[in-house]
Amino acid sequence: MNAVTSVASLDRELAAIVGERYVSSTEFDINGVVPAVVVHPGSAEEVGAVLRLANERDLVVAPAGGLTKQQIGGVPERIDILLSTARLNQIEEYDPGDLTIAVGAGMPFAEMQRRLGEHQQWVPCDAANLEQSTIGGLLATGAAGPLKSTFGHMRDFLIGIQFVTADGKVVKGGGRVVKNVAGYDLMKLLTGSYGSLAVMTRANFKVFPRPRQTRTFICSFHSLEEALQSRTRLFQSPLTPMCMEIVSPRAMEYLCDPSPVHDPDDYAPEQPLSLPAVEWQVVLRAAGSDNVLARYSRELGAAVTRTLEGVREEQYWRWVSHFEQAVLSRHQNAMVMYTHLAIQSVGPALQAMERTAPDYNLIPAAVGRAATGNLVLAFMPLSVDPPSAMQYANCVSAFRGMLPAGSSAEVAHCPVEAKLHFDVWGTTPTDVKMMRAVKRAIDAKNILNRGRFIV
Amino acid sequence: MDPSILRQLKKIAGKDAVLDRPEELMLYEYDAGVDKHRPGAVVFAQTTQQVSQIMRLASDKKIPVVPRGAGTGLSGGAIARREAIVLSLARMNKILEIDVPNQRAVVQPGVVNLELSNATVKHGYYYAPDPSSQKACTIGGNVAENSGGPHTLALGVTVNHVTGMEVVLPDGKVIELGGKAQDATGLDLTGFFVGSEGTMGVVTRITVKLTKLPEHVTTLLGIYNTVEDAANTVVAITQSGVTPAALEMLDGWMVRCVEANVHAGYPEDAAAVLLIELEGMREVVEEQAKAVSAVCLQQKAREVRHAKDEKQRQLLWLGRKTAFGAVGRVSSSYYTQDGVIPRTKVPYTLAEIERISRKYGLIIGNVFHAGDGNLHPLILFDSRDPVQTENSRKAAKEIMACCLKFGGSITGEHGVGLEKMGLMTAMFTEDDLEVMVRLRNAFNPESILNPQKMIPDLHFCREITGPLPKAKVEPVEGVPV
Repeated sequence: MNAVTSVASLDRELAAIVGERYVSSTEFDINGVVPAVVVHPGSAEEVGAVLRLANERDLVVAPAGGLTKQQIGGVPERIDILLSTARLNQIEEYDPGDLTIAVGAGMPFAEMQRRLGEHQQWVPCDAANLEQSTIGGLLATGAAGPLKSTFGHMRDFLIGIQFVTADGKVVKGGGRVVKNVAGYDLMKLLTGSYGSLAVMTRANFKVFPRPRQTRTFICSFHSLEEALQSRTRLFQSPLTPMCMEIVSPRAMEYLCDPSPVHDPDDYAPEQPLSLPAVEWQVVLRAAGSDNVLARYSRELGAAVTRTLEGVREEQYWRWVSHFEQAVLSRHQNAMVMYTHLAIQSVGPALQAMERTAPDYNLIPAAVGRAATGNLVLAFMPLSVDPPSAMQYANCVSAFRGMLPAGSSAEVAHCPVEAKLHFDVWGTTPTDVKMMRAVKRAIDAKNILNRGRFIV
Repeated sequence: MDPSILRQLKKIAGKDAVLDRPEELMLYEYDAGVDKHRPGAVVFAQTTQQVSQIMRLASDKKIPVVPRGAGTGLSGGAIARREAIVLSLARMNKILEIDVPNQRAVVQPGVVNLELSNATVKHGYYYAPDPSSQKACTIGGNVAENSGGPHTLALGVTVNHVTGMEVVLPDGKVIELGGKAQDATGLDLTGFFVGSEGTMGVVTRITVKLTKLPEHVTTLLGIYNTVEDAANTVVAITQSGVTPAALEMLDGWMVRCVEANVHAGYPEDAAAVLLIELEGMREVVEEQAKAVSAVCLQQKAREVRHAKDEKQRQLLWLGRKTAFGAVGRVSSSYYTQDGVIPRTKVPYTLAEIERISRKYGLIIGNVFHAGDGNLHPLILFDSRDPVQTENSRKAAKEIMACCLKFGGSITGEHGVGLEKMGLMTAMFTEDDLEVMVRLRNAFNPESILNPQKMIPDLHFCREITGPLPKAKVEPVEGVPV
């Protein structure tokens, strides 16, 4: 049997499961690999049937939501089926009094958030691209934004889950109540598993009252050390800001709407004639009444260089969330890393970034959660002297080598050619053999996202 | 137990670290729940290496091992099945590191929950999860059960406060999960392990988050003429945009029961009282107290008391904190249940519990974490009367069925253990459970660790409760309890 007939017969078999109009082809590629076929199941049972078929034939499946984070991870050998959850997009249950919501995994996050907003509620996640990103995609990639500082990770709000295992079993974990210890916490396991364990089909969240008034305080410092000292003072103060970001000098020019740039690799700062900024910023967002916000102003004192409210404040935080996108829209060959650090490792990690990047002709910029150690680091190439694939690899290994023990730093974006020269996931304090044993337990044939995640 | 096994255990852990005489083993045949079963031996490990050697020995000889902390669990998680070795972690009780700049502490599993807050309060931090047994229960046990407590409403349960662990697998291998960083690259095995009830591995070192002490704390007491009004207040408070640190409810029977015991000042003719705790920046707390007080009155509270100082605050809490002890004075036997419902279903569920109480002619008191819909009905019965004993079990089962009917859970914080294993099939399908077993087998393939717990392989019914273990630790000044 040649490849063409096998693809045609697969199309027919998939059409028999989901209906002809829900089987299509695509030009979308994942790190250069184009999936052979796209299938859009309309229910968890159909997802199960597709996966059973794939499992029997040893076909590699990539679960997909809004396609915003598919380039993260290793280069796959092949992708036989791109399994889209787009049709699983209903709100299945929402009672504002219970502060819980059940939604299909294919629903765009922003749509759920709008519905919650009608009742002054929200799921406090402000990751990037929430209009396109689906609930399932955000969960699978463990996406988070500045709100993570106080509210935590998506996995902290996920109280129940339905997913389909590689062998087609429709399984649930947790439930629809905010406190529940019956059975293993499958929600924790699936969140951040990058589609490598199962296909999520439904998620239940606990939701929160949305703050009615917030204000943002931008504090500027002459050096990283001063910025970190202010962080220590904040930790010791009674203040409890909702967000606490650290912004490196070079990052500021990306916290704005991207200007139209013709050559993505053309280094085009917003104000090319001004000197590059040298300030480090600590940016706080606080919620509360006028009285509460006045207290912030008093306690922060002269460190505050700008205060934002209302529309401008919302816009500013969208820019913070979309820092990575702003970088990539101007420098398609930039490298972006996500770090997971202990609080006191934030300083050493930022120093390591500033020190290593220039050695490889890269310009560093960083934005991130100063209170939790989740930073987004960008390394941008100079257009005059673009780095070779090996230079990215060497830069990553030099940077990782300077991180304090227990840190992890994954490369979320870099040119595909560079990915062949190093491990994008890097080391992690958690036992990788154990992770792989867990993967084998529910995807024995390794059909889900083979070769893309750490397992 | 086979004398050669005992000899080897003594060789590993020391002569004084192994118990095998029947009168010694008797002390380890129960927990704070209802099950009893005598272990084959008890061994007290003092180091990770000893735990590893004990596990390797047990794996070689196919002897089941049941890890145990303080034995305060309520679902039989630490009860031996068959001729198991009970592996006590109580002697691994050192706080290894208090790392204030990183807001972390590293502890051995046998450290008592409250001990950690006692040790960190001088730095302006505490350990937030506060199960009501916090003066005796161990952090290792909390990890196994994913323990909650009154103050987990705003701050989350144990899993939200654990960032790293050292774990000994059944074959003796020692692995690391996470560390001081919030979340590491790769699968979140740390989060997955918490709440696994000793069925995946033995945790020998735990890294936890330390929480900054709030600037200000205040407590309100709402007093109600009907349970419905109190229940409606719970929904209205969360809808008003306030998330209290704790939101507890006692029904009228419980109010009278605790008043007879400690005189906390709750009116004896109340149908229900709500204890509402607010914490944070002073301005926030003061505004929220006003808002919450208004909501209570709007929902027909007949009175709202506001603690003016710490002494009054402690008095308001006294009734809640002594509730279980107070019930113990009224009835020698009571069955503490643990179920969860969506919070809008509180009034219906309480009406249903009332109906069940009348049906079986048994008193059922209710004291619970209303803010997250976590009920703790206490079913009173006379354990000498077989009919009452049987009825208490039936009543508990009906209450659980009611929780499930409303879309709830069979346990919010006490765990499944032995007690609720038979109910797992009412909540999960065979496929759900099979996947859980597959995942467990990745860690514990031969079920050497805590066999026949949590996930049923046969149908099983459970019973009744006993006295709580005594407090080992008292809070030092400044610890928020």
